Amino acid sequence: MAKASTKAGVRRSRKKTANELLLRVPALEFNQGKDRRLYSFAVDGKELHKFCTISRVSRNDSEGLSGYQRPEVVSHIVQIREYLESENPLLPNAIVVAFDESVRFKPSSPNSENDKAISRTGVLEIPVKEGVLDALKPGWIVDGQQRAAALRDARVEGFPICVVGFIASGLEEQRQQFILVNATKPLPKGLIYELLPSTEGKLPIALQRRRYPALLSERLNFDDDSPMQGMIRTPTNGTGVIADNSILKMLENSLTDGVLYLYDDIEEQLDVLKTFWSAVKTVFPDAWGELPRKSRLMHGAGIVAMGFLMDTIADRHRRTKALTSKVFVNDLEPLRDICHWTEGYWEFGADNRLKWNELQNVPRHIQLLSNYLLIQYRELVWKA
Amino acid sequence: MKFFFPDSQDLVDPSFDFDTEKRKETRIRQRDDLYAHEVFEKPPYDGMLVSMAIVHGTGGSTGRYTLGQQRRFSVEGAREFLRLPKGLELIGDCGAFTYVKEPVPPVSVEQVARFYEDSGFDYGASVDHIILEYDPQWDRPLPGTKPVPEDCVRRQELTIQLARDFQKLCRQQKVRFEPIGIAQGWSPKSYSKAVSALQKMGYKYIALGGLVPLKSTEILQVLEEVSPKLRPSTGLHLFGVTRLDYVKEFARHSVISFDSTSPLTQAFKEDRENYYGPERKYPAIRVPQVDINQKLKNRILSGEVSQAEAFRLERECLEALRDFDRRSFRRLELIEVLNEYQQLYGSTRNYSADYEILLKDRPWKECPCAVCRKLGINVVIFRGAERNRRRGFHNVYVTYKRLKHIRGKARTL
Repeated sequence: MAKASTKAGVRRSRKKTANELLLRVPALEFNQGKDRRLYSFAVDGKELHKFCTISRVSRNDSEGLSGYQRPEVVSHIVQIREYLESENPLLPNAIVVAFDESVRFKPSSPNSENDKAISRTGVLEIPVKEGVLDALKPGWIVDGQQRAAALRDARVEGFPICVVGFIASGLEEQRQQFILVNATKPLPKGLIYELLPSTEGKLPIALQRRRYPALLSERLNFDDDSPMQGMIRTPTNGTGVIADNSILKMLENSLTDGVLYLYDDIEEQLDVLKTFWSAVKTVFPDAWGELPRKSRLMHGAGIVAMGFLMDTIADRHRRTKALTSKVFVNDLEPLRDICHWTEGYWEFGADNRLKWNELQNVPRHIQLLSNYLLIQYRELVWKA
Repeated sequence: MKFFFPDSQDLVDPSFDFDTEKRKETRIRQRDDLYAHEVFEKPPYDGMLVSMAIVHGTGGSTGRYTLGQQRRFSVEGAREFLRLPKGLELIGDCGAFTYVKEPVPPVSVEQVARFYEDSGFDYGASVDHIILEYDPQWDRPLPGTKPVPEDCVRRQELTIQLARDFQKLCRQQKVRFEPIGIAQGWSPKSYSKAVSALQKMGYKYIALGGLVPLKSTEILQVLEEVSPKLRPSTGLHLFGVTRLDYVKEFARHSVISFDSTSPLTQAFKEDRENYYGPERKYPAIRVPQVDINQKLKNRILSGEVSQAEAFRLERECLEALRDFDRRSFRRLELIEVLNEYQQLYGSTRNYSADYEILLKDRPWKECPCAVCRKLGINVVIFRGAERNRRRGFHNVYVTYKRLKHIRGKARTL
């Protein structure tokens, strides 16, 4: 009766009804407390949708809330899909499925009575009806719907994935598990940025874009000849005075629209960065290295605005001379008196006067400070 | 008569793939993207108009450019930033529409002049304050009619004063751009008065603002009042006006240039006139993105619509359109599929009759422009910025071609 399938680890057998199959998969059963049985097994990701469905949240007129999942997020699915289609993907975490009571576990040796064993092997029998309505499928995906959708759509032959199943008593229990697995906090951004430079392989586009700035930032933070050595605050360098995000923003601006765009070589880019920021340190020694609350130079607005100044000074000189420390210092000196990083007032013109510590790391203030510095640079240095 | 195209960072990404709807991961906005003058073999306009409001923002807004782009714009200059070919001209203005609700313009004459000078504009418009009301009856007040609102008078006086300050500053600083004086008014006579004042200050290039909501005949009435007072050396610019049917009349009244985004924006803002054909305008075929269209997203979220079904129909529509373009899918079946999807996303409008005409005419097949040649039927699909903006570029191309045709027939334009 049982017919062996070529698909890894999956055996099917035909039951009485013509269109009902019994999917039989080798599985591990273990108890998690009283009456809580979990089943761990592997299936081809492409087969998942044969026996699983997603309980989409909706509200019927009379019956109140049904289901619990949000809709698929295409951009997210596309990212996972592209990763699955990449050279050597790995999907270690399991899809979590809640089964109804039609799913059975058959232990391989039913009589073994080993108290110490926390798990036993066997076969999980999942009834699969071809062409059946989604609602009548025996499994509901509690966690991993985006991954499951990506597996379904990916242009790959097949992809074995790990599934953890449990038999749920009803919708309420599924909902509880759904909330529990999804209420976790995402990783802090700073930690992800810090991990970026030392990762390989494909990442989602947003992160891929940040990988290169993160690499530059890491070098600025740890190179011996960097004026910012140890000064960029990251999860592993909690004593840094400059927020990693401020540095990344400054680097991104210059990589797309400033001096860093002009170089392909990271050493040349770092050379310009280190030379410029050393000059900043020379010209503003009192404001350098202080906490942002004591010095706005180390603050998001200061770092980003000074980054624009770096790009502009470079634009002015790069065609005629090497960007040496002297060039930067000479061009920064005339601005010393109009900068109020640690005390006094910024005179932004007209009725725009800000006390030094009123300057905030918000787009409006960053623009105000950047424009001010660039206009002053033109008036006091470039045109002078 | 010259046509200036206003910049609002309308670019297309050449790496966008219309089949997979993906783009190159390393693409850098603006640097790798293309302006309309880079898409076509020859630029579809005589120049561009750039507002300070779009670049830097005015008052509370931060503009459409990133800070990095703003910096590069002022250091490299507008011409290099926009990668504008030789021969095309650049007008700068301050973008009065963005601060129309404020009591006074939030920009100073100095700021504006510096913006034009630093960025290397050919022409720079004075600071103005738009007058929103228009009524020719105010020129012949009858007993019992309301007088001209005080705010109109105040805005006009302010605009004239700012133009005077601007002219003075430009002379003092010996700027390299030619100043344009802006006239605001609420009736033919009031416009005429403003224009005369500007002419007296020495302006040779005068722009009329606030004409956008006016009917073409009303614009003509204004011009009829204004032009007799003009010196032979004075030329007029019309802000935000594209009325190709009236180009000849406008020219007779000394209009030498105009600017308008409407050929571009009609591609995705109009209800039925999205694609400019040689004889008529057509609606574009709506195939919204399931995951982006807000209406559809809400219906899916509430469980009203099945997401899988929406995805299926969306794909089916796109495939049917592609097959139709290859002549392997019937028109009527295509319209059926489109309607089915439309019902799902809940549009109340019925475009079937319009679609039928569009699909029968296949105007994109006839169009020689680079966009239509490259995109095929995609140019008439209303979906996402990459398609919609390219259709807008096509409309700009058609508009300019028509203008050149009119110019060719009347040598004096």
